[in-house]
Amino acid sequence: MGEKAPIIVCRCNDVTLSDIISAVESGIDDFEVLRKYLKLGFGPCQGRSCLLIAARIFAKFSKKKLEEVLSEYKVRPPIVPIPVRVLLAGVRH
Amino acid sequence: MRVIIIGAGINGLFVAYELWKRGIRDIVVIEEKYLGAGGSLRNAGCFRSSFTSLEHVILMKKSIELWLSCKRELDLELKQSGYLWIARKLETIEVFKKLSAFHNEYGVPTRILGVEEAGQIQPGLNKSIVAGALFDPTAGRMPVIENLVKLYLKLRSLGVIFKFHTKVTKLTTSDYRVKSAITSRGEITGDLFIVVAGGRGTRELLATVNVEFPVTDETRHPIITEPYTEIVKPALIIDWDTPGAPYVTQTEHGGLIFARNITDIHEAPLTSHRVDVIGLTIKPIIELLPVLKYVNILRYWIGYYETTPDHHPVYGPVYPYENLYVAAGFSGHGLMMGPVTGLLIADWILNGRPSISIAENLTLERFKTGKLIKEIAIVG
Repeated sequence: MGEKAPIIVCRCNDVTLSDIISAVESGIDDFEVLRKYLKLGFGPCQGRSCLLIAARIFAKFSKKKLEEVLSEYKVRPPIVPIPVRVLLAGVRH
Repeated sequence: MRVIIIGAGINGLFVAYELWKRGIRDIVVIEEKYLGAGGSLRNAGCFRSSFTSLEHVILMKKSIELWLSCKRELDLELKQSGYLWIARKLETIEVFKKLSAFHNEYGVPTRILGVEEAGQIQPGLNKSIVAGALFDPTAGRMPVIENLVKLYLKLRSLGVIFKFHTKVTKLTTSDYRVKSAITSRGEITGDLFIVVAGGRGTRELLATVNVEFPVTDETRHPIITEPYTEIVKPALIIDWDTPGAPYVTQTEHGGLIFARNITDIHEAPLTSHRVDVIGLTIKPIIELLPVLKYVNILRYWIGYYETTPDHHPVYGPVYPYENLYVAAGFSGHGLMMGPVTGLLIADWILNGRPSISIAENLTLERFKTGKLIKEIAIVG
């Protein structure tokens, strides 16, 4: 790609375009594995800003369809980070 | 001979690796989803040999030795930072002393810690509610996905064939031999040896050859926080005296993972998140380590302990078939057992019996003969 400055794809975990390309070139051939390996979508944004960009890049390099690339992706709660104190109210054990 | 391994989780991969090291070259790994899609990428990444059954202690101790030699061979990452089992009650210390004596007898150097020593291992520990601790310095944790990917890429470079997004729907048999594996993408035949390391799919697949595999998927509800600088010093802190033994571990990336064994519907789906789980799981840990009350919860997922009646895995030949083997039902300990699984299954396939004889207690036959194994220290 001949990039000079890093192109950031995931701002939560500082994953760059070249990180994605080199992971794919090393042999990672499944988006779920790539996502977990690079922690794309595992930061506070939960993938809202990076995931579609990363999926498109992966689809392009792996010559797969976008819907196939994202077929295993699941959104997990909570949608935004929650201070643990909020969740402790009223808990007995 | 051609070896078909069903399941590309940590155990399936280690079976492939060990067979390759012993000269087998025609190895195919078939996976319904993606690399590590079952328990392998849903766990907390921890390992220990401080168990309460002889089978687990001996096999896990060997597995840790093998993890350490694989660390050098495959440039894996893992760290023996210890397990800290916290006792809130004085009488629990007596239980810990018995456990530690058992561990020490079989070469696992656990020891009892006083409150001050426990506080040195984990700064910020709320000493006013702690009676003491059991510490296992050989236990530890690892970044799972990094290690799994390294092992996978190594196997591919060695010529092991992987077929992902391919489901084995049925095995066909005749004269007590498996003749073929029918998959969603065609039939595989040849001079086959089949290893089913299929996690929760194992029960369904073995049913196609009329073998009952007694395993129940028990949900676990791990929760991870935003990443922080190192707070939790040992690999795992376990609150032994609270029901469901809540624990905390901190990943290499910095996220704190909390989990607790919470009563749930058997085989509840992976999407059955519960709003009460986060508070229930974290509250006891915050009592032990009050600084954690300031963390932010990032994500919560569900995984399964594929639990057998005696909480031990099922290893070895599947009678009456001559060429069918199983390695499944790890009951929450699959990651740590990976390397020893490879060793034992390769032994069974190539030599007809395991090189560690106690593993013979773990075959599927035990559920017929009633010789179950007792394990009381299931955590999380």
